[in-house]
Amino acid sequence: MRVVLALALLANPALAGVPEAVRDHILPATAQFSDASGALAEAALNDCTANALQDDFHATYDAWMGLAHLRFGPVEEDGRVLAISFWPDTRGMVPRTVAGLIADEDLAVEDPASFAEVSIAGRGLSALERLLFEPQLSGYIKESYSCKFAQALSVDLAAMAQAIDKEWRTDFAQVVTSAGAEGNATFLTESEAAQALYTSLTTGIEFNADQRIGRPLGTFDRPRPTRAEAHRSGRSLRNVILSLEALNSFAHALADGPTPQTDAAFQAALGAARELDDPVFAGVEDPQARLKAEILQQRIKAILPAVSNEVGVPLGVSAGFNATDGD
Amino acid sequence: MKHSLTAACALLALSTPVYAGKAEVLNTYADIAQAGYEDSLISARRLSDAIYALLADPSAEALTKARQAWIASRVPYQQTEVFRFGNAIVDDWEGKVNAWPLDEGLIDYVGDGAGPTDENPYAALNVIAQPKFVLSGQEVDASTITPEFLETTLHEADQVEANVATGYHAVEFLLWGQDLNGTDHGAGDRPWTDYAAGELCTNGNCDRRAEYLRAATDLLISDLEWMAAQWAESGEARSTVLADEDAGIVAILTGMGSLSYGEQAGERMKLGVMLNDPEEEHDCFSDNTHNSHFYDGLGIRNVYTGHYTRIDGSTVTGESLSDLVAEVDPTVDAGLRTQLDATMARLSAIKSTAEAGTSYDQMLARGNAAGEALIMGAVDALVDQTRGIERVVTALGLDGVGIEGSDSLDEPEAVFQ
Repeated sequence: MRVVLALALLANPALAGVPEAVRDHILPATAQFSDASGALAEAALNDCTANALQDDFHATYDAWMGLAHLRFGPVEEDGRVLAISFWPDTRGMVPRTVAGLIADEDLAVEDPASFAEVSIAGRGLSALERLLFEPQLSGYIKESYSCKFAQALSVDLAAMAQAIDKEWRTDFAQVVTSAGAEGNATFLTESEAAQALYTSLTTGIEFNADQRIGRPLGTFDRPRPTRAEAHRSGRSLRNVILSLEALNSFAHALADGPTPQTDAAFQAALGAARELDDPVFAGVEDPQARLKAEILQQRIKAILPAVSNEVGVPLGVSAGFNATDGD
Repeated sequence: MKHSLTAACALLALSTPVYAGKAEVLNTYADIAQAGYEDSLISARRLSDAIYALLADPSAEALTKARQAWIASRVPYQQTEVFRFGNAIVDDWEGKVNAWPLDEGLIDYVGDGAGPTDENPYAALNVIAQPKFVLSGQEVDASTITPEFLETTLHEADQVEANVATGYHAVEFLLWGQDLNGTDHGAGDRPWTDYAAGELCTNGNCDRRAEYLRAATDLLISDLEWMAAQWAESGEARSTVLADEDAGIVAILTGMGSLSYGEQAGERMKLGVMLNDPEEEHDCFSDNTHNSHFYDGLGIRNVYTGHYTRIDGSTVTGESLSDLVAEVDPTVDAGLRTQLDATMARLSAIKSTAEAGTSYDQMLARGNAAGEALIMGAVDALVDQTRGIERVVTALGLDGVGIEGSDSLDEPEAVFQ
């Protein structure tokens, strides 16, 4: 049996690992995000105040880190990836949009369908974080506009998460694992699906190094601590750790064989992250603490060649164009 | 066998001179660039004349004339945007003249709610109201606003790209002011008295505002003079394009693809729909976005078809990239031509709708399904034509064409399949 399986894999080198990645990494992650955001929505309808929602906000954000890198298919559909997390927000759109909705007491919060039409800068985890953690906004009471806003944000997040989970389960898992089959208009060859998964793996690793750590690092002369992701809720480093853990499991599932180099590289980066006693990268302005963040960034970048050797080469794919190419 | 194959190839080469015209194609491309930047310069000089007239004798009529001159100046300039990606000399320079989007609160007064952001501590600096301020820990003397001050100190201050102090959009803001109508009809409505002397002056610091506008206009002219010279005979931009034929063709296609895809379809159009934000209009102060998009699209078609209509009505034409592709694979050429025409039809629909009174910011309004369909129709056409550009790259056997993407586009990798 084992021999037969191995032969089948040899015959289909480009497909190897794709079904495993869907089964062991992607579907559990979409289910977890759906569950966590469902609990958030339920909690918000019960008690909308900031203190009451912060734990469920964190649980939802934690779950999002399990799939945020899957930037294709259901996660990309309808611009969901930006509607769930609008970061980096280089033009301050989130604070402006959130303040605008509150100032106008915009009626979109009354109805989920209307709220789904709201600017992506006024939706998702980024807007909810403002509402729950920005001191000027978070003091709202039940019966206030902000209370309804928090409920609308939570319900909207749960709806997007459910849709992602459902679309993956009922349709897209099949699309990915039947790549190259007749009638599959999304992935014309087997290797296209492998390439899409592999690109999201490497792009996810790069995103941690270049954006989550690179943005607050800025330059030595001009560090940018306020550019750290989710610093208001104190999650900047936590997001890096959770994302790396998810990406490690993804790499594992997608790989054809054992991945000792990859696992060691992920563990080195995770070790550096856990030792970094700086939850929001506030230390980038201090030369000593900054050095540790730079080392973490280098460790994350060092994962890429290992992943290329142990995951990409056996799959016969290299990273394709991705959404973060360009400006 | 080998001999006869060679003979057959030689015969084929005689009957269809594949790749025969690359040098001519590149010459046409450089000629269109030269004419486009010269036209931009000519129309910017007219803009400058109108602005100097406004500042010499401020009136509502003089402000209107300056605004009209600004809108006219955008017609040739937007058609040159296709030269930006792919020509490093243009891309390195472009930020000075057409940087967007901007945190305009850096320059002058803005409405309520503006302030420092996580990204930009100087988003509401208002240099017109502040002859002295602290920038990145350094005391800055802005008591005289000169082109040099704008270029070297204020532009991209604190290394933030949204700190746009120069170029078309800075001038646009100074002529129109913020568009405070949200996604309702109406552009910025700066009163002419923002430039009036003495007691008539509104919103304070009219003399400094005038000084800023004059400096920004002078700088725009000198920047355009420089770029027009780079495309003239023996100019650096022209020489670079002509130096290596394959690299030159790659530059043309990179420019067409990156402007179509990541820049216009993604950053300038789709992201605006997703944000429903009128500030996401490319020409947001003047509500001229429909033209901005239209002439960007036209510029892409110009360089492919080797045809540019100048602002005086004369034309620049020559052997085109289209001709070259048609020799190699007529189907690929016809496909891309059809796609470029389809994009122009979509962009025309946006333009005619805006000219009929439904402006681009209204199309962006939340829940405006018809407006969204208009914009997304053009986005889809631009994405389609990117596929056609990719096919040209393949047909010509070129590599090294890297097309810029955008966070807002779904499955960008699908474009390149």
